[in-house]
Amino acid sequence: MTKVLMKGNEAIAEAAIKAGANNYFCYPITPQTEVAEYLAKRMPEVGGVFLQGESELAVANMIFGAAATGKRVFTTSSSPGISLMQEAISYMAGAELPCVIVNIMRGGPGLGGILPAQSDYFQSVKGGGHGDYRLLVLAPSSVQEAVDLMILSFDLADKYRNPVMMIGDGMIGQMMEPVEFPDKIESPDLPPKDWAITGAKGRKPQVVRSLFLDPYKLENSSWHLHEKYELMKKNEVRFEKYKVTDKNEIIIISYGTMARICQTAIDAVEAEGISVGLFRPISLFPFPQDEIYAEAIKKNIKEVLVIEMSTGQMVEDVERAVVGKKKVSFFGRTGGVVPSPEEVITQIKDMIRKKSKSKKKA
Amino acid sequence: MLTKKHPQKWNSPTVKKPINLIVGGYGSGKSEVSVNLARHLVLDETFEARPISILDLDIVNPYFRSREASAELEKLGILPINPEGAQFYADLPIILPQIRGAIQSAQGTLICDVGGDDVGARVLSSLATSFDEATYDMYLVLNANRPFTSDLAGCLKTISEIEFSSRLKFTGIISNTHLMDDTNEDVVMQGISLSEAVCKKTGVELLFVSAEQTILDKINFETIDIPVLPLNRSLLKPWE
Amino acid sequence: MNNNSKTLFARPEAMTDVVSHYCPGCTHGIIHRLAAEAIDSLGIREKTVGVAPVGCSVLAYNYFNCDFLEAPHGRAPAIATGFKRLRPDMMVFTYQGDGDLISIGMSEIMHAANRGEKLTAIFVNNAIYGMTGGQMAPTTLQGQITSTCPAGRDLNETGHPIRMTELLSGLVTPMYLERVSVHSPQHIIQAKKAIRKAFQYQMDNKGFSLIEVLSTCPTNWGQTPNESTDWLEGNMLPYYPLGCFKDSFAEEDK
Ligand SMILES: Cc1ncc(C[n+]2csc(CCOP(=O)(O)OP(=O)(O)O)c2C)c(N)n1
Ligand code: SF4
Ligand SMILES: [Mg+2]
Repeated sequence: MTKVLMKGNEAIAEAAIKAGANNYFCYPITPQTEVAEYLAKRMPEVGGVFLQGESELAVANMIFGAAATGKRVFTTSSSPGISLMQEAISYMAGAELPCVIVNIMRGGPGLGGILPAQSDYFQSVKGGGHGDYRLLVLAPSSVQEAVDLMILSFDLADKYRNPVMMIGDGMIGQMMEPVEFPDKIESPDLPPKDWAITGAKGRKPQVVRSLFLDPYKLENSSWHLHEKYELMKKNEVRFEKYKVTDKNEIIIISYGTMARICQTAIDAVEAEGISVGLFRPISLFPFPQDEIYAEAIKKNIKEVLVIEMSTGQMVEDVERAVVGKKKVSFFGRTGGVVPSPEEVITQIKDMIRKKSKSKKKA
Repeated sequence: MLTKKHPQKWNSPTVKKPINLIVGGYGSGKSEVSVNLARHLVLDETFEARPISILDLDIVNPYFRSREASAELEKLGILPINPEGAQFYADLPIILPQIRGAIQSAQGTLICDVGGDDVGARVLSSLATSFDEATYDMYLVLNANRPFTSDLAGCLKTISEIEFSSRLKFTGIISNTHLMDDTNEDVVMQGISLSEAVCKKTGVELLFVSAEQTILDKINFETIDIPVLPLNRSLLKPWE
Repeated sequence: MNNNSKTLFARPEAMTDVVSHYCPGCTHGIIHRLAAEAIDSLGIREKTVGVAPVGCSVLAYNYFNCDFLEAPHGRAPAIATGFKRLRPDMMVFTYQGDGDLISIGMSEIMHAANRGEKLTAIFVNNAIYGMTGGQMAPTTLQGQITSTCPAGRDLNETGHPIRMTELLSGLVTPMYLERVSVHSPQHIIQAKKAIRKAFQYQMDNKGFSLIEVLSTCPTNWGQTPNESTDWLEGNMLPYYPLGCFKDSFAEEDK
């Protein structure tokens, strides 16, 4: 297929259709409303279901009911809306229903603002709703990657019978980039959806539920979910490295569009003879913990620098990965203020300067 | 940054009416075209209808709006008309009283950057009493690489939707076909032929073709008799 | 209730052979049975999906011999909407208490009704929160004592009890709205008719319907089963009048 120019939000919508997810429920919120506007036109063309619900609370529960049919379903929202969806997300994780939820993040807490942020990291990867559950969380850094990960998300959701969340800061939704869609999508071998609610015809009645009043049964169910999360950790860790070499003095850990700003900064300091590498987690849960550890402990690395569009969230997972073997520093801007390449360059240079000073003293 | 004075291989575009509405599908490049057109006119010594103002009428896009280039344009002597303070960043459909005023008392030349699609153009309908045929032109910015305007049928549909929601008629087309960094000569040329087809079908003029300077350099304009607006991108992503 | 009930009635096919957890004299069991009989009489068990609420009937899926979904508190109409939009060929009903449907789930039921979702809500009004141990519900009557209004419901503090079926009949879209009761055999017959009609309408793709069923909660009302049917008759009937509030197909039906 040829390339087209698309806004991230539209591309995400089209990718879902390409993945066979013809069922979408939504509630408008900036900066992701274009997904709904695009699908309001597109779903009728493919004979799909499009419904604007009365709130994100209802929408997420509609997704729950829709997912129980065994068909591919998804919704999109932005931070405050995602907060309202947490109830159903927890229920779906408990009932093992596959679905895809996209969060095009804006600044928070509260109503916050409408500009790009990455301040929903904790909410996405550490729970958000109640109970012992995890979401599989993916974070694209370009519109093309948003398309690719969206398609992958549906396969992963089906494979693990678990909600998958794709998160991008507002820029992922709003920016225009050329994209290409695969002509034909080959899904891997996925487990049969014999759990789906289709009517008790020729079989015993089936129930989709997250209720286990017997604590031993609930514990069993929770350990069963836990096993799935361990499998995800084994099989679904995704990341990308940029200019990682044994000359690097610093390794930056950054995800989403923030990582692209870091790339610009890395190119700039490289021209001045400062070698910095970038490690970009693509799966935020499972987190590339071992891989980050392996990079951080390399002899040439003096310091690990985490950069986020938040006051510091993923940095806690990086610290956990590095287990004190190297110094981990953090730089962030938040609330919709996006760090500029110049600010990142200043951070890098300050670090190098401090390091060489302390060396001289010693 | 401004373009170096080039040995002109093409004709420069101009505008004829006090009010110029730059309208088009989502992501056709209206804001970039508006900013560059204003900049071009202010630097064109032969252009007399001054002062030149630029009005951000985009009430649907939350990011990458022409208002982000305000400071730069102001330095050149262009008057930007935007919401101020916190409203600058808002996604509220704000129509300042000064906007109605600016349109009604249009002096010199006004470039209006209107939001995308029929949804974004609806704002024009609310200002309809401010326009009459003698004072405005409405231009469709056409990017043939956008999904809903990639063929003649799609373009005609977009045109009729926008005309319906704005209650105004198009008077011209601006061919702005691109694929961001993946743009090449072929992409631009394909866009021109689609724009020409649309003009032929609708009977409006092709006002100009716009593209980044580096690509224009590769095109032989002797065979193409359309004014050209070289673009210097102002609405960049943070890493660009 | 009546000791002979087991021998008098055969178990409907749409019910399982499981002993229910409901308190003696609780009318939830009767309402389940009426729904199951309606399903059987229409021969749609294999096409039926129930959505259980959070409330005393949270385990309803154990008693119905058909597929079921277990919803978060109040969200059954949203869950049912999502399901039914993807499977318009199935018969989908929600089974919800008054706390579930009117309090926490007011928004979901109103909007599902107003969109005209092709589903049926069986709404069990027992004027109290049964499951959590007898707190005030939006349907609790004036002066009625509950654990969170120990001096009796004070209308100055909490407003008047909500007449949900009347409220819904203010909407244009819903097709069929009726309030019934199950405190006497005659009323049970009428209730059964209403539920069957609602399911039939849904099978005919006719739109949204809700059947409000006045029900007893002897345990939390602090009454014997007989006292509770009397209390329902004496106190609930005057405030919650029975009858059909809307039936867009009444003429056709005759
Ligand atoms: C979000 C949430 N809040 C509160 C509860 C606790 N809760 C369970 S059932 C119930 C009230 C049920 O009352 P009703 O709907 O009238 O059903 P009944 O038991 O009377 O049949 C409440 C408050 C819950 N399960 N979930
Ligand atoms: S508590 Fe009330 S509503 Fe619940 S089962 Fe017992 S009697 Fe029925
Ligand atoms: Mg109750």
